[in-house]
Amino acid sequence: MAHWFHRNPLKATAPVSFNFYGVAGSPAANKICNNLRTDRARLLEMFTDVTCNPDMMKNATDAYFSLLQGFILSLDGTTQENKMRFIQNFKWTDTLQGNVPSAQQDAIFELISMSYNVAIWYTKFASRMAGKENVTEAEAKDVHRSLKMAAGIFKHLKEDQIPRLITPAEKGRDLEARVIDAYIIQCQAEAQEVTIARAIELKHNATLVAALSYETANFYQKANQTLHTLEPECSNKWRKYFQLKMHFYMAYAYCYHGQTLLASDKCGEAIRSLQEAEKCYMRAEELCKEYRHTKGPGSTARPSEQLFFLKLGALVKNTLEKCQRENGFIYFHKVPEEPPQLELKASYGLAEPLSFELPPLSEQWSPEVYNTFDLTKGAKNDKAKAKPEAEVKPMKEPDLKPQKDTGCVVS
Amino acid sequence: PSIPEGLPGEKSTNRDGVLVDEFGLPQIPAT
Repeated sequence: MAHWFHRNPLKATAPVSFNFYGVAGSPAANKICNNLRTDRARLLEMFTDVTCNPDMMKNATDAYFSLLQGFILSLDGTTQENKMRFIQNFKWTDTLQGNVPSAQQDAIFELISMSYNVAIWYTKFASRMAGKENVTEAEAKDVHRSLKMAAGIFKHLKEDQIPRLITPAEKGRDLEARVIDAYIIQCQAEAQEVTIARAIELKHNATLVAALSYETANFYQKANQTLHTLEPECSNKWRKYFQLKMHFYMAYAYCYHGQTLLASDKCGEAIRSLQEAEKCYMRAEELCKEYRHTKGPGSTARPSEQLFFLKLGALVKNTLEKCQRENGFIYFHKVPEEPPQLELKASYGLAEPLSFELPPLSEQWSPEVYNTFDLTKGAKNDKAKAKPEAEVKPMKEPDLKPQKDTGCVVS
Repeated sequence: PSIPEGLPGEKSTNRDGVLVDEFGLPQIPAT
């Protein structure tokens, strides 16, 4: 399979001790605070652990969120805001804005920011797995599921959690609609890339491949449009990726549409379709170079030198030559000036986000334990006030570059 | 009743009632 996907950096955060001196007034309340601290630290470690898999990620996420929800959900049977929601300040950087953190004293901000990183982790896990040389069917399913899972998390945050924040998202930050929409569309488009590869492998018909490629190109186009009003310094590289993928999948669409035209004896139109595929492919190649030289968040790569890219170039070339040969021997059709109109609607293979649900509240929480948290006792303690502000250090991400796929097989 | 084939949840149908796999592709290649 050997796919290649662009990835932005993970969000970084300052450590949180959950030390509420005096406020946590029972052993059970103290235990919750201790577990919050350790579960949070463990989840943060998981993000950069290359051995972490989706099951481990889910366990770590559920452990932390089931406790954190005790600061968000109503535990006293009233409709009033949870008294613990605004007790702790949380700092998080954004995926596109370098090391400058945003801070909000709100447990929902923490829930959103941490979930955001979980979604980014799923995309990175998928990228690592899809970049391997020989991806099994089970692994391809994992990649596909992980990308739909990430899309589902982003969608949940956008629709259900972000509107609950009191402080609105700042422009260009992760929580604003343009950025989160781009992530959702990217995940869906990349999941469809996996499906296109499978459809080709299983020799599904050319119409199906062309339609799904065309829809995928449109997804990348939409993601690119979504970001066009964002600050260029932080979005240019990401947009180059969307543009190059858009042209790449348009080339796929014209290439497979050409095959359909040839099969129905429209050889002249088939040639024109393949010529258009060649044009899109060459534009994608230029954009690969521009991507490489564009500064911005995300890893550097030479996508046009990888097998997935070179393979399509050879396919377009061979298919065009075949069409031209057949036209010279059999059809003698005139090649139209205008490329064929692609009005292809995919009936198969479109990727929808998987619905995401938060875990239930931890059993450690109860209305009784909640009552033992006393906010009136916290401010008196000087020790808490004297503590210096924790710094946000960037995430030490492992090298997530896919293995170089040479296409050689050791037999 | 006949013995079900494959694992549960692996197959589903799309809007037109065609059996599709986990990727949303038709079960039988249409070539």
